[in-house]
Amino acid sequence: MKRVVVTGLGIVSPLGDTLEGFFAALTHGRSGIRRLEGRFHERHAGTVGAPATFDAEIRFDAPRLRMLDRVSQFALAAAQDALAQSGGALEGVDPARAGVFVGTGNGGGSSADDAYWTLYGEGGDRVHPFSVLRAMSNAPAAWIGLEHALAGPNLTFSTACSSSAVAIGEAMRRIRHEEADVMIAGGTEAPLNFGSLKAWEGMRTLAAEDSQDAAASCKPFAKDRTGLVLGEGAAMLVLESRERALARGATIHAEIAGYGLATDAGHLTRPSVEGQAAAMKAALADAALAPADIDYINAHGTATLANDAVETAAIKAVLGDRAREIPVSSTKSMHGHLLGAAGALELAAAILAMARGIVPPTINLRHPDPECDLDYVSEGARSMPLRAVMSNSFAFGGTNAVLVASR
Amino acid sequence: MERQGEACGAAIMDMTPDDRLRELLAKDFAIPAERLTPQATLEELEVDSLRMIEIAFAIEEAFGISVDEDAAALMGRITTFGDLSAYVGGLVAAQGKAASGT
Repeated sequence: MKRVVVTGLGIVSPLGDTLEGFFAALTHGRSGIRRLEGRFHERHAGTVGAPATFDAEIRFDAPRLRMLDRVSQFALAAAQDALAQSGGALEGVDPARAGVFVGTGNGGGSSADDAYWTLYGEGGDRVHPFSVLRAMSNAPAAWIGLEHALAGPNLTFSTACSSSAVAIGEAMRRIRHEEADVMIAGGTEAPLNFGSLKAWEGMRTLAAEDSQDAAASCKPFAKDRTGLVLGEGAAMLVLESRERALARGATIHAEIAGYGLATDAGHLTRPSVEGQAAAMKAALADAALAPADIDYINAHGTATLANDAVETAAIKAVLGDRAREIPVSSTKSMHGHLLGAAGALELAAAILAMARGIVPPTINLRHPDPECDLDYVSEGARSMPLRAVMSNSFAFGGTNAVLVASR
Repeated sequence: MERQGEACGAAIMDMTPDDRLRELLAKDFAIPAERLTPQATLEELEVDSLRMIEIAFAIEEAFGISVDEDAAALMGRITTFGDLSAYVGGLVAAQGKAASGT
């Protein structure tokens, strides 16, 4: 068994595509959520979203770009940056022992949406010849493997909002059990197309636009929370054994110490305290850590009525008295819900928090909910040493995944 | 190759299929015009079977013609840019829609 560490992080997010910019925005409580503009914006009930700040034309030439759905563009950019930061994680690696695990909820849904528009909106008979290649769910992982000549396992995990936490946890296990030497793992999602927005609108889980400030529409754990805000982006990690990282003199950002998985087998969408608690417990056991060792939880914290109360109860069920002593924040209040990419981006936030000793806040929490009675860091970022952090990801379909990272 | 940029109707009707093909490959596929010699192979131009699917699609749109062969057949029949140009010229002549530039 090997200990598994993170030696590279790359992101594309509604708060920028640099780690410094992203974390500075989180600690200053800046929101990337805004009113959506676009061809159909007047027909959205969900009027707000968190678009990624991302310039595809700087990253890719035109012929390459035509092959890539936005979801693959994000994934390639984040993987590139993660590898650059790793200081040569792929140098000297056996390509057959280097792989890619990516989580995504809906893959290239925007390309499917474009093709449907051509067929049904414009009455055309021909869709773009790369529609299949752009829309297929495994395109992001496949492109990363191609780009970096990684011939080991290349898998795509789709468990809705826990997809990328699952991808990272499963990749960690490949290295822990010595089945791979280097893994690129993370998630990507690009759901801000009209078809996806309308589908989410139909679920009645999207936040209403805040009447004073669109940027403040996502209100996790607050009495006046009205739902989630969709965001887009990607986050990728470079994982390798601690031994290998030390041998090549790499900077270690964190250890992925634990991964817990548990399924709500009771209902397709309604979260359960038992399922969420079981995943947290499993992650702690996997990390061989006790509740007293956890110093911060980056909550799933979607700002839906159901999730936040259930998650609060689940945290209390697992951590007992410790639950009230530690900060728990939802950075979704600032970057929105990245669905299949959420777990990876939020783990990145938790790792940056641990590395810098700063807990990011939950913003827009002015009216407490009696059912949500933990310390959500609503007053602003807090400086404190963090030894180990937990990142929660729960999902429609019931696949609950929890990651624990330590210094 | 004086005519560049947005092809207006009058200009495009004056262009030969070969000129229009060069312009299309340069503009939409980032293949520099000076590399499009008759002898240049598809391999040298970095046109693989996937790129050929897209090129066939673009040719159909630009010339208002129908390319019925699949990518593998096209790759078998066409080795150089000269072959591609002759093939497109033949289809344009046969299908008689050369002047219907879009």
